[in-house]
Amino acid sequence: MSSMLRFDNVSKQYRGGHVALADVSFEVQRGEMLFVTGHSGAGKSTLLKLIHLGERPSRGAVLFGERNLLKVRGRRVPLHRRDVGVVFQDHRLLADRTVFENVALPLILRGMRRGEIAKRVRSVLDRLGLGARERALPTQLSAGEQQRVGIARALVGEPQLLVADEPTGNLDPALSAEIMTLFAALPERGTSVLIASHDLGLVRRLKKRVLVLDQGRLADDISPEDLADA
Amino acid sequence: MPEPRLAESAARPSPRPLRHVTTWFDHHLYSFVASLGRVARKPWSTILTVGVMAVALALPLGLWLVLANVARFSGDVEQSRQISVFLKPQIDVAAAQALAGTLRARSDIGQVQLRTPEQGLAELRAGGLGDAISAVGPNPLPSLLIVTPKGDESLLAASLQRLPQADLVQHDAQWRDRLDGWLRFGTRVALVLGTLLGLGALLVVGNTVRLDIQSRREEIGVLQHLGATDGFIRRPFLYLGAWYGLAAGAFAIGLLTLAAIALRQPLADLAARYGSQFWLDGFDPLTAAAVVLGTTVLGWLGAGLVAGHYLRQTRPTES
Repeated sequence: MSSMLRFDNVSKQYRGGHVALADVSFEVQRGEMLFVTGHSGAGKSTLLKLIHLGERPSRGAVLFGERNLLKVRGRRVPLHRRDVGVVFQDHRLLADRTVFENVALPLILRGMRRGEIAKRVRSVLDRLGLGARERALPTQLSAGEQQRVGIARALVGEPQLLVADEPTGNLDPALSAEIMTLFAALPERGTSVLIASHDLGLVRRLKKRVLVLDQGRLADDISPEDLADA
Repeated sequence: MPEPRLAESAARPSPRPLRHVTTWFDHHLYSFVASLGRVARKPWSTILTVGVMAVALALPLGLWLVLANVARFSGDVEQSRQISVFLKPQIDVAAAQALAGTLRARSDIGQVQLRTPEQGLAELRAGGLGDAISAVGPNPLPSLLIVTPKGDESLLAASLQRLPQADLVQHDAQWRDRLDGWLRFGTRVALVLGTLLGLGALLVVGNTVRLDIQSRREEIGVLQHLGATDGFIRRPFLYLGAWYGLAAGAFAIGLLTLAAIALRQPLADLAARYGSQFWLDGFDPLTAAAVVLGTTVLGWLGAGLVAGHYLRQTRPTES
């Protein structure tokens, strides 16, 4: 396995003085799935923002493959973001676009041909059980379906890394399990998956590596084996 | 550490130049359709926005139209700045013609027209004063030279007054100078107001697009997360601003054309009572097209400034 993502002594202090991350180091391998957990304000969201360049670190280095994200500036920021699929807790689907149009957006941004877009969108919708819903508007979908559309949109560009911020935060336990099953299948296709969640029960059930953040510090890095013993 | 090419497999799907052109075209088509969709989805909001912009644009454009008509009127006044030189009664027609010839050769004179005593008498008779003139005996009218100046008319009038053949020189310099002063002042006022109201129109477009951006902050945020470039995000707003500008410009031209039609006849009647053939001109097709193009560019610019400012604010923080 090779390194997909590496944080080297990363700190993030916001302009008001609040320290969101302090001296955090860890590494994610290609095709690995792991969780980041911690209380509210522990720094989970900031960590995800540093990965897709929503923020920049105050100190330290973030490496995406061999790419040093500190050197990614200006017009190269959007190109980097196309390599990272993002899934949000609140789905963030465009309400006036159909399921198909929402999922097609990342491919439109890449200037893909219309025929190829249709083929890839339908393929990912079928994979996520949304084939029959491609013409529906987001408001016509259940919460679980909306989250699956969000995942389809994140996956359609075949990102090297998928990050999800509390993807099951608004879902009931059955739907949460369904969504997590979808995520768990992604590493088999070579996609690394990093999920921020405070749902410890769900994290324990999936038996994946867990990074525990506490007040911006990496308090623990628990392997799947250690998690099984816990 | 070497910097790998970003999004090697997807961001640059093909190195062929034609592919870049079709991608560029596809993105513009997407923005074009998206902007039209935004306009169509909120017809009342669009009508109100365009209406406010059209009125804001109509004010400077109306001033401009008035200015153009005033300039034309000013030109007419300039042309009518003629000096009447009444010659002494003993100067016969031949001598008057010789004097007219001499004056035509001068560099400060544009034109000289001779009106003989007979022509003057005929004019008076045509005006119904024939009997009164006949009562005073032989034709009492002198020869008249109507001189159109080229340069400073006051200096020319003084010079003509010194001619030995001249009996009386009529030159209404004072009221013409005053009118000139008012015209220059009016022109400057119109230009200043036009600039201010044009700036106002730019701000109206900018503010409208700003409100549209505010209502679409979430959508913009999603697109940025998905890897949309600033150009991709800005483009629909540029088209939107251009649509607003185009529609507002056309609407403003329409409003002013209607106003010109409504005012044309009463103004022509009023002018006729002062012996003038002044006619209020509206926008000719070329000017109207230029105005609409200008307002479209204005809308595009206003949208570009606001969208650019917003996108600069959403850059990743560096602290």
